[in-house]
Order: sequence, then C-alpha cells, then structure tokens
Amino acid sequence: MTAALRSQMAAKWNDGFTRLNRTEPGITGLISFSQAWNVATDYLHPRDIADPTFGKKTTDMAVVKAAFDTINRSRRLPVMLETFLGAGINIWLNTRSASSFLAHFLYDLQESDDTAVINSLIFRLVEWFRAWAPIDELGPTIRSAYTLTFQTQLFSILRPTFVRGFKALCTSTLVPVARQTPEMWEAFEALGLTDRYEGIIASVGYERIEEYVHETCTGKWDTPCLESLRSWMTMQIVPWMLPMYAKGAVNTDEARGMLQNVGSRFDFHMNKTLCDLRTSEIFDIIIDFPDSNGALQDLKECLQRVDQRAALVQSLRKSNRKRLLHPGADTKLILQQYVATIKCLRIVDPPGVLLFKVADPIRRYLRERPDTIRSIVANLVGDDDSGDSLVDENEPIQPLQALETEDYNDPNWDPEPIDAGPDFRTNKPSDVISTLVSIYDSKDLFVKELQVLLAQRLLAITDDNFEKVEKERRNIEILKIRFGEAALQVCEVMLRDMTDSKRIDGHVQSKRPSIVHPTIISRNFWPSLESSDIVMPGQFQALQTEYAKEFSTFKPDKRLRWLPHLGTVHLELQLEDRTIEADVPPLEAAFIELFSQKNIWTMNELVSGVGSVDRTAALKALITWIDLGVLKEDEENVFRLLEVAEETAPAARTAPTANVVEEPAVSAAQQQQADQMRLYWKFIEGMLTNLGSLPLDRIQTMLRFAPGYDKTPEQLAGFMEAARREGLVVGRDGMWRLNR
Amino acid sequence: MKVTVKHWHAVAQWRWDTGGTEPDRGGDDEEDVCGICRAAYEGCCPSCKMPGDDCPLIWGQCSHVFHMHCLLKWIGTPASKQQCPMDRRPWVTAER
Repeated sequence: MTAALRSQMAAKWNDGFTRLNRTEPGITGLISFSQAWNVATDYLHPRDIADPTFGKKTTDMAVVKAAFDTINRSRRLPVMLETFLGAGINIWLNTRSASSFLAHFLYDLQESDDTAVINSLIFRLVEWFRAWAPIDELGPTIRSAYTLTFQTQLFSILRPTFVRGFKALCTSTLVPVARQTPEMWEAFEALGLTDRYEGIIASVGYERIEEYVHETCTGKWDTPCLESLRSWMTMQIVPWMLPMYAKGAVNTDEARGMLQNVGSRFDFHMNKTLCDLRTSEIFDIIIDFPDSNGALQDLKECLQRVDQRAALVQSLRKSNRKRLLHPGADTKLILQQYVATIKCLRIVDPPGVLLFKVADPIRRYLRERPDTIRSIVANLVGDDDSGDSLVDENEPIQPLQALETEDYNDPNWDPEPIDAGPDFRTNKPSDVISTLVSIYDSKDLFVKELQVLLAQRLLAITDDNFEKVEKERRNIEILKIRFGEAALQVCEVMLRDMTDSKRIDGHVQSKRPSIVHPTIISRNFWPSLESSDIVMPGQFQALQTEYAKEFSTFKPDKRLRWLPHLGTVHLELQLEDRTIEADVPPLEAAFIELFSQKNIWTMNELVSGVGSVDRTAALKALITWIDLGVLKEDEENVFRLLEVAEETAPAARTAPTANVVEEPAVSAAQQQQADQMRLYWKFIEGMLTNLGSLPLDRIQTMLRFAPGYDKTPEQLAGFMEAARREGLVVGRDGMWRLNR
Repeated sequence: MKVTVKHWHAVAQWRWDTGGTEPDRGGDDEEDVCGICRAAYEGCCPSCKMPGDDCPLIWGQCSHVFHMHCLLKWIGTPASKQQCPMDRRPWVTAER
C-alpha cells in the first residue's frame, strides 16, 4: 500500500465521516444519523396491511420527519430511497401476501371474467399503494420516485390475462352508466393504469360505439341516424370519458377543451362505424330507395368525415356484380336498380364521381343486353305492367342532354373532385332518361324502337278502345320534348293514320255499312310489318273487295292494299249443338271459314286454301280451334270439325269467348336495320381487315362509295353496336376493329 | 256450320293509284318514286311532313306522276319552260 493510496483512502474516509457526522462533536453526529436511518427505514418498510399492527404505528411523525431531515442533510436520501424502493417494494409485492393475493385473483380471472373480482383487486392494490406511500412532507421527488417504482414493479408482475379482466371491468362501467364510480377512476389513475392501458380503455369505448351503432342502425334506413347517435354519444359516452380524459377539470368549459381531442377521435370512430355499416348495406339501401333516404343522408355526412369513398365504390360494384349483373336478372330490374343507383349516389355525392365509377360496369352490361332499348322505351311509353315507372312523374320533362365538354368560361367552374378518374366526365345532373339514353351512342336506336312499339300498340287498337289513341298521342307529345320534334315526325304520321282511318271508316260505313273496320296506314311511315301471302277465303275476300271499292269511291286516287295477316276478327260459329264466339287473328278466321265448306281438311289442303302460309303458323292457328273444342285432329294432319261437341273435348277449360289476339307481328327495329345493313357488312369487314381499327366517321365515309348506301352515321353506329353484340367487332374509344 | 263475322278489325295500306301497276297485283313491293325528289309517292315531298292528302300527287297527260308540290316548284322555275321534267313535253295535268 503506497503512501499515496493511503492518503487517498484517509481523505475519502474523512470526507465520508464528515458528511455523516456533519459538524457534530465526536461521533454523536454519526450516532444520530444511524438512529435516523433506522427510524426512516422502519417507517418506510412496507408492511402487510392485513397485519393488525398496521396503521397503529406509534411512530411519531415528528421523529420520522426529523430523521428524514437528518438523512437529507447528510445527502444520503437518494441512497435511502434506492434501498427502500428497490428492495422493499419488490420484496413485498413478491412475498407471500401480495403474490398469493394476486395469484389467487389472476387464477380466478382465467376462469371467469368476473369484473367484481378485478375491481376488488384494483382497490386492494390502491390500498397498498396508499398505505406505503411516503408522507407528502418528503416532497414531490420522493413521491414520484415511489409511484414510478411501485408501478414498474406492479406491471412486471401483472399477467397478460389482467388486460382482459381490466377491459371487462372498463366495459362494465360503460353499459349501465350508473355503476361507474369516480373512485375507481381515481384508483386507475393512482396505479398508473390509465396511462398504461389508455389504448384498452379507448378500445372499450370504440367497441361500445360499434355495438350500439350496429344495434340501433342496422336496417334502419328511413331516418338519418347520425343525429340521434351524436346525442347518444353526448348522453352516454361523454360522461364515461369525463373522469378519464378530463380529470381535474373544474368547469365544463375546461372539460370540453380537454375532451376535444379525444372526443373527435370517438366521433370519427362513430362516423366510420356507421359508414362501414352503410357501405355494407348500400345495395339494399338502393333497392329500398326512396324509403332509405335517411341512410343516404347519413352516408353523405359520414363520407365527408371519413375517407371511405373507394370502399363504397368497391362494395357497391361487388354487390352489383354479384346480385344484379347476371343473366338471371330481368333487364327491367337492372334498369330500375340503375336508376335508383343514380338517384341515391346523387344524394351521397353530388359531383357524381362515385356514380361514374359505379355506373360504368352497369352501363357496359346493359349495352350488351339485346332488350335494353326495348325495356327503356317500353317504360317511356308506359307499357309496363308493373306500372313502376323508371321516371319520376314530378321530374320535369326536358330535352335530352348531351354530355357537355367543359365550359372554360364558366365562372362557377369547379375542378374535378380529387378521386375522379382520368375518363371522368363532369356531367351536369341530367335527368334519368338522358342518362339512360346515353348508354348508347345514338338516340336513333331509341326512336326506331319507339316506332316499333308504337306500331304494335296502335295496331292493337280497335274501335272499342279508340280513346287509347289519345293516350298514345299524349305520350308522343311528351317524348317529343325529350327526343325532339323531328325525330318523332314518323310517329306523328302514324297517329294521324289512326284518326284518318277512323274518319274514312265513318264515311264508308255511312255509304255502305260493313263489318270491316280497317286501320289504313301510310306504309313508308310504319316500321316494316312482316309480310304475308295469306289470301282470305270465302266471305272475307268478298268483304275486303267490297270495302276497298267503297274506299276508292271516297278517295278516287287511292287504292287499298290489305295486310291480311294483321288485325282481329270477331266471329260467331253456329254449330249444331252450340254457338261459339271468339276473337281470333285473321289466319284462324280463314281456316274456320274453310271448314264451313266441308268438315274434314288435311293440313296441305288448308295451307293451299289460304294462299301460302308457314306450317308452324298454320298449326298454331289450328290448335287455337282445337283448344276451343271446335276442331279435332283425328289422325296426323287431318282435322275434323266437331259439329257436336265431344264429351272429352277440352272446351270446358276455355271460356266460350276466348281472346287469342296477340301483339301484331312487327319486327324489332334493330332486326330490320340489321337486315338492311347485312349487305354492307362485307364492306365493313373488308376495310377493318385491311386497315385495323377505324373510327366511325371513317367507316361512314368509305361506305358512301358503296352503291346504294344511304345510312346516317347514327344508323351505322346502331349497326356497329349490333355487330358488337354478336361478337363480330370490338369498339373501344370510338375505334372499331374486328373481334379476333 | 255457319260462320258469321261480327266485326273485323283489318289492317290495310293505302297506295296512290298511279295508273301503272294495279295495287292488288302481287310482288309490287318495289317502290315507285317521284321523279323529282326521289321520295316514294306514298311518302311526302321534302317540304311536307304529312303524306297522303296533305302532299298529293299530280298526274300529267304524258303519264308521268310527281308529288304535286315538287312539280309546281319545278314549273315555277324559269328553266322548266313549263315542261315535264321527264320527257320535256309541255306539262298538261291529266284530267282524272
């Protein structure tokens, strides 16, 4: 041992001694320090609170305080605390009393989520915490050091299952609010549980919100829920949050300020939950429209808060694909749902970005359906049996609106919404019909189909229900506003033919009464009616000639040309034992007329008896009579008139006056057009083969060189559309190419 | 059996009696067109919207038939020299 070391040691010793002994004479300072140390450790040493002596400590506070003071003056306080906090609490929490207590409860917890158990556990812990806490006089440093150590030790021995129990306890405070006790929150706070398990406490709130939203709002679409949810939040969730998030707030304003942050988080969660719920229900909400207006308002508001637009589009597209756009769905139904979708999404998102994204697959699908146009037109003219019109009666009738390009001079111009795709077109909120018509490139197809439909309906009108012509006229007047006067000029002529026929018929009848009441049509203005070579036999021929003669007397420059396969005949058959009245198509009438000449006819005789007719059509006509119990097919293709009804004749199942009239056969507009265009298909095919893909106007220009080509670009567009449906060509971005 | 026709709602087309083909003769589906406007006789001239009595035909003694409006417009032009546009004979409306 060197002298240097020795002197260093001596210096240290002296230093230490002086510190402990302070300036006391001799070693009295040292003695008093050691006494103080004993008193302090004795005071601080944790005790089992179950010990009956606990709390009855006779220790005089003044003595304790003086002791701490002494230690502090010797600057030994940190060491003291370290000993106490490190060893003392650790030992205690891990010794028999505490750990067996904890172990007992934790074991129970695994068996059951009894919140009472966990509650008492927490209160017990708080009791310990308070009991062992150093007196306040020692200053905040000691206190906070104590708290920190206690918490650290406590958390280290808590098992993971505690979290579950804790959560259950928090939940139990929420459901019936009355059970919530401020003491418990204080206890949580004291143990530091609030900070450590903040996420869990929040998740309790979140879960409660989710539960409540699902409970009260699922399937409830008629009124907006958001308002009532907000007031529920204020009534139920906010009071629950108060002790945790706004502790120590003295007045409501302060509390509000403290809650603002967390409150908006909860509000956001509520919005999100509701938004998710509505998103998952959106397809049915649309079905229920307009009874689901409330839900749509909610959704609109939520979407402004929560960015779930993409999810909404995804969800709706998915359910559309699954529930709507499949072969099992009726076109009319798809149209209805599409229209409802338009209306709904316009409520949710006025700029129409959502609608554009959702509508695209529906429109593409509808374009592929052959009967889409027919369905739309049928609905326009009120041909639906359901009476469920696609168009609102109170929606103003307005001309079709073309999609407009952006008007850069518009002072109210808004940029496109941020989630608009590159091909998004800002379409002004246009009416439903414009939107439907815009599924196709040209409105020409609709006008054509409209004519066909009108023709069918007009030809079915007889004298008995002539007032229907007026109804059709009103319809056409309305449609004129939409499609323009010029497009519907042809319909106008058709309607005039109807009234003219009535007038002419009135005149002819006054000259020479006839039971024939023809509808006389202007052939260039009606859709091509399927031609037929029927020659009406017997008295029918005579009736026709007679009427035609009278007509020519009235209109000397005109002649009548009968379309014998159209119309209806009301007949009375007088048989030996019965009289049968029936409304039948002309072919049926022609056949039965033949039977008045002789009772047994073969199929071939019958067919040649009425000129020439398709065998299936003939058979169908004959079956009508067989069903009425007038004819019987004795052997194949030989028919016999039943002058006397047969016992087994199925006459009973049909009423004596049967109505077997069907819609006049008018070939569909597209069909006609396709027939006309078939000739030009070879040209189109040739040019597309040679030149790859071409825009429509190029095709049109080149077709003009073809002999006799007189189609408008709209008609060509219609044809190309038809060809696309047949899979012959592919159209994309206005370019057409062959489908290979 | 006796068949009594109580009521017959028939459908017919009207045709102008252009003298040439008889309307009842079969297979006359090819359309006769006005020599001036190339629209069907049963259609209407370019300035009309309603066919038939509102846009009647005019029959010439030369056997040519036109929409009346078309022919009158033609006769009204100085270049026509009051001739039938088809055969350049003086236009004389046929008595009918």
